[in-house]
Amino acid sequence: MTNAFDRLARPIQKWVRAQGWRELRDIQARAIHMVRDGDADLIIAATTAGGKTEAAFLPLISAVLDEPSSSPGFDLLYVGPLKALITDQARRLDDICREAELPVVPWHGDVGASIKSRALKAPRGILLITPESLEALFIRRGLEIARLFASTRAVVIDELHSVLDNARGIQMRSLLTRLELAAKRRIRRIGLSATLGDMALARGYLRPDSPQDVAILEARGGSAELQLQVRGYVRSDDGPPAADAIARHLFDHLRGSDNLVFAGSRQSVEIYADRLRALCEAAHLPQEFYPHHASLSREHRDFVERRLQAGNLPTTAVCTSTLELGIDIGDVTCVAQIGAPFSVASLRQRLGRSGRRAGQPAILRQYALEAQLAANSSFADRLRLGLVRAVAMIELLLEGWCEPPQREALHLSTLVHQILSVIAEKGGIRAPQLHHILCVEGPFRKVDTAIFLEVLRAIGHPETGLIEQASDGILLLGQTGERLVEHYSFYAVFQTPEEFRLISDGRELGTIPIDNVLVPGMLLIFSGRRWQVLEIHDRDRVILVAPATAGVPPVFGGDPGMIHDRVVERMFIVLEEVHRPIYLDAAANDLLDEARAAYRQLSFENGRIAHLGEDAFVLATRRGTVATTTLALALRSVGYTVQSYDGFLEVFGKQTTPPLTSALSEFAEGREPELFDETANLRFEKFHPYLTDQLLERDALSARVDGRALAPLSRELLGREL
Amino acid sequence: MSSLKPRERDAVVQALRAGVVPKLGLRHLQVGRAREIEELVKDMDRIADGGAAIRFVIGEYGSGKTFFLNLIRLVALEKGLVVMFADLAPDRRIHATGGQARSLYAEMARNLSTRTKPDGGALPSVVERFVSQAQRDAEASERSVADVIRERLAHFEELTGGFDFAEVVRRYWEGHEAGDETLKSAALRWLRGEFTTRTDARKALGVRTIVDDASVYDHLKLMSAFVREAGYKGLLVGLDEMVNLFKLSSSQARNANYEQILRILNDVLQGSAAHLGFLMGGTPEFLMNTRRGLYSYEALQSRLAENSFARDGLVDLSGPVIRLASLTPEDLFVLLSNIRAVMQDEATALPDEALEAFMHHCSDRIGEAYFRTPRNTVTAFVNLLAVLQQNPGVQWTELVESIEIAADQGDDLSDIDESVGALAPSEELVSFRL
Repeated sequence: MTNAFDRLARPIQKWVRAQGWRELRDIQARAIHMVRDGDADLIIAATTAGGKTEAAFLPLISAVLDEPSSSPGFDLLYVGPLKALITDQARRLDDICREAELPVVPWHGDVGASIKSRALKAPRGILLITPESLEALFIRRGLEIARLFASTRAVVIDELHSVLDNARGIQMRSLLTRLELAAKRRIRRIGLSATLGDMALARGYLRPDSPQDVAILEARGGSAELQLQVRGYVRSDDGPPAADAIARHLFDHLRGSDNLVFAGSRQSVEIYADRLRALCEAAHLPQEFYPHHASLSREHRDFVERRLQAGNLPTTAVCTSTLELGIDIGDVTCVAQIGAPFSVASLRQRLGRSGRRAGQPAILRQYALEAQLAANSSFADRLRLGLVRAVAMIELLLEGWCEPPQREALHLSTLVHQILSVIAEKGGIRAPQLHHILCVEGPFRKVDTAIFLEVLRAIGHPETGLIEQASDGILLLGQTGERLVEHYSFYAVFQTPEEFRLISDGRELGTIPIDNVLVPGMLLIFSGRRWQVLEIHDRDRVILVAPATAGVPPVFGGDPGMIHDRVVERMFIVLEEVHRPIYLDAAANDLLDEARAAYRQLSFENGRIAHLGEDAFVLATRRGTVATTTLALALRSVGYTVQSYDGFLEVFGKQTTPPLTSALSEFAEGREPELFDETANLRFEKFHPYLTDQLLERDALSARVDGRALAPLSRELLGREL
Repeated sequence: MSSLKPRERDAVVQALRAGVVPKLGLRHLQVGRAREIEELVKDMDRIADGGAAIRFVIGEYGSGKTFFLNLIRLVALEKGLVVMFADLAPDRRIHATGGQARSLYAEMARNLSTRTKPDGGALPSVVERFVSQAQRDAEASERSVADVIRERLAHFEELTGGFDFAEVVRRYWEGHEAGDETLKSAALRWLRGEFTTRTDARKALGVRTIVDDASVYDHLKLMSAFVREAGYKGLLVGLDEMVNLFKLSSSQARNANYEQILRILNDVLQGSAAHLGFLMGGTPEFLMNTRRGLYSYEALQSRLAENSFARDGLVDLSGPVIRLASLTPEDLFVLLSNIRAVMQDEATALPDEALEAFMHHCSDRIGEAYFRTPRNTVTAFVNLLAVLQQNPGVQWTELVESIEIAADQGDDLSDIDESVGALAPSEELVSFRL
C-alpha cells in the first residue's frame, strides 16, 4: 500500500510539511486512503481536536487539485452549525488552500455581500455555510442551485452528532436531498462527528437509504483524559446563598484561564456573571468574567467571542446554550455546568470545548444546587433529582452513549417549513412532486399521503393563507406565506422556546419556558409554590393558574426539557446502588446518601407506587419525559391532578376520582383515554400555530407523547406480568 | 391555399408531435378565430402606420395562445415589421433586480426576426442594413458616412439611454469601416443585451451604460426607433407564458412587473409610443386573479376590465384583452382535416369517419375540456397518423380505441416529473385540491 502522504496533492504535501507534523495521525492516514479510493459516504469520528477536519479535507482538496473540474460550481460544500465555527474553519482551510490557490468561501449572515456576489459569479473552491444560509440560497436563488453545485464532489457535515434528529437536523437532511435532486446525482456525504456509543445511528442519519454503505472511521484509542468533579451545594434560607458559594468557587478555580460556565437560564447567567464581576472588583483584579446569551447585543457577544478566540487575555464566558455548539474558541481549560443538563448529547457537546489540545485533559465541573430539607420537604427535594440526573448523565457520557433520534417523529412543523421553502425555490409546484421531494426522497418518510394532504389543507385554509392553489393545480405561496418567506427570520427552522406567562387571578407571576405537553388540571411549580393549571392560551402564550393546595411543593420542580428513558433508567440505578462515584465531592456524596435514604424510605421496593398521604401518591414510572407525560395526561383525563418529575409522577385524587389502581388497570387493559384537552398546549415549534388541532395531536403523539407506552407502563406499575 | 413546402411540412409535423407550436406553415393549420385574427391584422397595420398597440391574449393552457401569437407574428413579418418574441420564465421577467429582466431582453434580441430571416438571429442584418443604407445615402449626397449616421441617429439622444445606443451603432460602423470584427461583434453583443457589467462594456466600446434590468423597456423603444431608421415599418414585441409573473412568490416582485406593464400600457394607449406593438399571452388566472394576477394591481384592473356589455355571445374585440374562445367541434374537425392534409397524401388519407371516431373517443376520455385545449388532441392525432403512415397494414379502427389522452395541465417541473413518473403517484396527490 502506498503511503498516505504520497496520495496527497503537491501543494497539500507542502502544507503538511510546513506544519512540522512528524507524521499524519492514524485517522488522517486512514481517511486519505478511504476518500481517495472510492466515493462511499463516510463518517469520521474522533474526539475534539482529533484532526477530523484535516482528515476529511486533505484528501478531498487533493482530489479537486488532481482532477480540476471543467465546469463551474463549488467543488466542496461544508455545512457547519454555527457562524463562528465557519469563520474559524474558513481560516484553517484558507491556510491549507492558499498554496493551491483554491478559494475558500465562508457564507453566513455576517459575511459581506461582495464576497458572496463574487462567489456566485464564479463559483469554485470550498463553500462553508450554515444550514440557514443554505436554506436562504435555495429560496432566493432556487434557479441557480443546479449551476452552483454542478461540480460539487462532496458535502462535509460538521458536528454531525449535534444535528441527529432535531428540527435543524431534519432541515439539513431535507436540504441535502433537495441539493441532490437539483444536481440530479448523488453527492458523497462525509460526516464529522464525536465518538458515539452507537455509530449506526449516525450512519442512518447520513444516508437514510443505504446506511450499510456508510463507512465509519473511528479514531483508535487516543481518548482524551477527562477530569471531572460534581460538587454539591445546599441552598439555605438562612446564611449566605449557595450561589455565592458557587461563584466563589468558580472565581477561585477559573480565574487566570479561559473557561465556559453554562448556567442554564438567562436569568442565572446574569446572576453568576454579576457575582463574579463583583468578586473581581473586590479583589482589585481585572475583569475576566463576561455573560453571553441571546438577549445580549451582538457587539457584546462578539466581544466575548473574540476575546476567547484571541486567547491572550484570560476570559471566562458565563453562558446559556448559545456557546454550546462547536465554536472553536481556542482552548478552553475547563467547562463548568451549574444545574443538571437535559441531554447527554448537549453535555458531550459542552465538554467538547475543553481539552482540545493534545496532552491537556478535558475538565468538567458540575455544580449541583439542592434545596435545604425541612421536616415537611417534598419527596422531590429529598430525592435530590437534579444531582441524581447529573450523575446519571455523566455515567452515560462516560459510556459513550448519546440520545438516539426519534424515529417515529413526524416533524410536521419542519415539514411546513420545507413545503414553503420548496414552493419558494421552484416558484410553484404540484402536490405529487412536492410529496415526492419531501416525503419519498426527503426526510419526512413517516408522513403518509393522508397526513401530507391534511397538512396542505391546513396551511392552505384561507384563514391561514400560507399557500394557495392556481387553477392548474400548482401550489403557490399565499398571502401569509409570502410575508413569512420574505423575512430573513424564515430561514431558521428552530426557535428558542418561547416562554409562557403565568397569570394568577389577573396578576402576572412571571415567565417560564415549557417544553412538554400541559393540560388544565396538571400542576407546575413556580417560585417555590405549586400552581394548578386552569387554562392554557396556546397562541397568546399565557397559562392561567391558581394556587394549588395539594401536598408540599418542592423547592425545585419540573424543569422543562425532554429527558430520555435511558437517562431516567440510569437515575434509578444511581438511587438503588450503593457505589459512590469517585468524582463526587464530600457535600455531593452527602446529598447522594440522603437521596438514596429518601428513596428507600419511599418504600418503592415492592411496587412502583408509594403513598404520600390520603389520595396522594408517588408513581415511579422509571421512564423519560415522553412516557411519563403520557401517563400524566391519562390520569388527568380521569380526574387526577398530577405533577411530573424525572421518572416520577405525583398524583392527587379527589373524592370523585376512581381508585388509582382501577384507573391504572383500565389503562393496562388497553382503554385509550382522551389524552388531550381542547386547551392543551401543543404548539411548540415554529410552524405549529398554522396547523389544525388534529394534526398537532398527531405530531405530539409522534414525538412528545406516546399512546402505545401507556398500557405496558400501567401494567408495570401494577406489578403485572408483561 | 398555397402549396406546402417539404421543409415546412417536416417542421409542422415535428412541432405538433412535440406538442409545441410550429413556427412555419401555420396558415395550413389555422381554423376559426377569424375575427380575432382580423382585429390583430388591423393592429399590425396601425403599427406599420406609426401607431402603437397592446393586446393581452388570454386563454387556458393549450387553448392555442402560442399558436395564435405565432400566427400574428407571421402576419407582422409579412407587413414588414421586425418582431422580438420571447417566453417569460422564472429567470426571465419584465422587471427584476438580479439580471432576470436583462436576460429576457437578451432572449428577445436573440429571437429578433425579419421577413427575410423569420427564424430569429436577425439583429446583425438589421444593423447591417442600417449601415449600408447610410452608406448609400452618403454616396448619393456626397457626405461622409459618419455624418449621415450621426444625423440619422441624432434624435435618439432625446430618448432615455439613446446617447449610448447611438454611440454603439457608430462603433459598429467604425468596426465595419476598419474591418475590426471584434468591435463589430462587441457592438452587437451590447445591442443584444449580453454585457453583464458596465466595466466590460466600457472596455470594449467606451460606453458607460448597458442594457440592464432597469432599462429593458427603454431599449425596446430605442429598438423600435432604430428598426424604423433601418427601413422597417416598426417593431412587434411578443411575450408569452406571462403566467410566470403570476407565479412569482414575492408580492414586491410581482407588483414591480405589473408596474412595468402599466407603464407600457399607458405609453401605448396614450399614443406616446410609435411603431411599437406588444402582444402578451397568459392564462385567465394571470389576468383575473385579484390577489396575484394583473387584476391585483388596481390601476391595471381598471384599464383592463372587459366591456361589461360584451357578454352572452356579444364580443368587443377593440379592448386590450382578447380572449381566445374555445374551439367548436366543427372547428376541431377542420383542424384535424388540416393536419391530415399536411401529413397525408390525398390517395392514402384517412376517411372523415375516422376523424369523427377519433374526436368521439377523445371527448369520451376527457370530456368537454378537450375542446378548450386542443394541444393534447392534436398531439395524439399526429401520433396516430404517424403510426398509420409507417405501418401500412394497420387499420385506423384498431388504433383509435387504444389512444391514451390526458387533460392538459400546462407544463413545468419536468425534471421532477421524470422521477415521479417512475413511481406513479397516488391519485389523491394528483387530483389534490385545497
